[in-house]
Amino acid sequence: MASSEVAPQAGRSRGRGLRLPDATPSVLLVVVLVALWQLGSTQEWWSARVIPAPSDIWTVGRTEITDGPFFTDALATITAVFASIVLGLLLGTLAGVLFWRKQTLGKMFEPYLISFYTVPLVVFYPVFLVILGINLWPIIILGSIMAAIPMALNTWVGLSEVRPVYLNLGRSLCLSRWQTLRLIAMPAAAPMVLAGATMAGIYSLIGVVAMEFMIAQSGLGYRIRYRYESFANSAMYFYIIATLVISLVVVALLSLLPRLLGTSTKGRS
Amino acid sequence: MKAQTTRAADASLPAGSAADIVIDNVSMSFPTQDGTVVRAIDHVNEKVDAGRFVAIVGPSGCGKSTLLSLIAGLQTPTSGEVRIGGEVVRSPKRTTGVVFQEDSTLPWKTVLDNVCFGMRVAGVPKREQLERAQQFITLVGLQGFEKAHPPQLSGGMRQRVAIARTLALNPNALLMDEPFGALDQQTRLLIGAEVRRIWRETHKTVVFVTHDIQEAILLSQEVWVMSYRPGRILDRVVIDLPENRDTSSVGTPEFSEVFNHIWGLVRGEAMQAFADSEHAGLAGNHG
Repeated sequence: MASSEVAPQAGRSRGRGLRLPDATPSVLLVVVLVALWQLGSTQEWWSARVIPAPSDIWTVGRTEITDGPFFTDALATITAVFASIVLGLLLGTLAGVLFWRKQTLGKMFEPYLISFYTVPLVVFYPVFLVILGINLWPIIILGSIMAAIPMALNTWVGLSEVRPVYLNLGRSLCLSRWQTLRLIAMPAAAPMVLAGATMAGIYSLIGVVAMEFMIAQSGLGYRIRYRYESFANSAMYFYIIATLVISLVVVALLSLLPRLLGTSTKGRS
Repeated sequence: MKAQTTRAADASLPAGSAADIVIDNVSMSFPTQDGTVVRAIDHVNEKVDAGRFVAIVGPSGCGKSTLLSLIAGLQTPTSGEVRIGGEVVRSPKRTTGVVFQEDSTLPWKTVLDNVCFGMRVAGVPKREQLERAQQFITLVGLQGFEKAHPPQLSGGMRQRVAIARTLALNPNALLMDEPFGALDQQTRLLIGAEVRRIWRETHKTVVFVTHDIQEAILLSQEVWVMSYRPGRILDRVVIDLPENRDTSSVGTPEFSEVFNHIWGLVRGEAMQAFADSEHAGLAGNHG
């Protein structure tokens, strides 16, 4: 049994741990852009009232953090996004598994699911308001639905593409349906399912912030609009940037999922 | 649920036994898309004695894989029944081991976890799992690769992992469906020799499906030649080569005689299959 039978990438594909890809170039890009922005505003390449300098935004932002509603709003948004992601992933996974097991049901829903991608679901907000009232629930429900759709589609497609020989292996080993799903089908579909989870996170964030814009009494989306309507331009920019940072954190956290699950699959066996 | 698992585990662990396989008047037909019915298996009546190594050869599409999956309980015959060790096969049994043609190793598990997988779902205690896994990993010559993942291994090594996983369950019948179909010629010969060695050590009942006549003769004690649709067993050829055979037997007059006999039977069937697929191709072009 010569070791030459081992493919050349042996040993490299696993055991990398939780190291993130090198982010230095990306960080450098942001630093350069912010520097240019600062220069442009102070040199009045454009009106500072339209686009204030980053230093001004930071000065205003500091008071928003210390004396203003920043933490309350950020917490409201993070809570809503987190709840939406959890609910959306659960709902989406359940729907995806159901469509896989009952293909006729899946075929029935498929065109609508796909078209939901293109429909701006946010336009349904009056319906949610009428049913649920003005509180956190319309926001969470819309965020969950927007998260559930890519999750359901990806789970379904991922499970449908599991190689038949794996399912035959499950049958020949007399696995129950639940064992087949948990031990064979889901791990085999994991790359597709996890890509769906990342999309779900992004979609739920879009949904939550958009809903906050329109109906909420707190949250970053609400605060952006509030500051904008009271002509507090620098503060508005501060909240926009805060929202961007949160979305980056959400995406970064979701990109850790595969490795976290990867190690947990290893641990299970 | 718990009790059931334990019972299944007990049933799957008899001390190294082999069971006989009886194929009793088995037929299998299924409808095709154009509304006709294909008779894949037609009234097959055969018996494999316990501990015997039987190879089934025939042209592509003759139903030899279908016959194997009927024995495995993965499909149910239209009529007739299969009995393994006297028990009628209605669904897959843990005491029947199956090795598939396609790669069935689970890429997200290590070699060790792959080999343990069957035992784990059968409820074998953890310590015993590891002991037996190590034993069978050594048997198929993969010691040192326990922590590797299948994508890091060659196709031949992955198939060895699948064989070890199946053998570790201590099945009393081993069904192999063109297990080396995707491998290159050298690897086929090497692994084939190993399967024969493993069979001589464990003395399982083996049914081995292949389209390679040479492979069938080299490995088995008995070759069944199957006809193109409807699938029947045309002949059972007992292989009278020395127990200790290897590729050097290929040139001997005894080998050539058996080979020519089997090839004579298969050739006619293969031409029939070829004509059929040509016809289907033409019909497809016009329709």
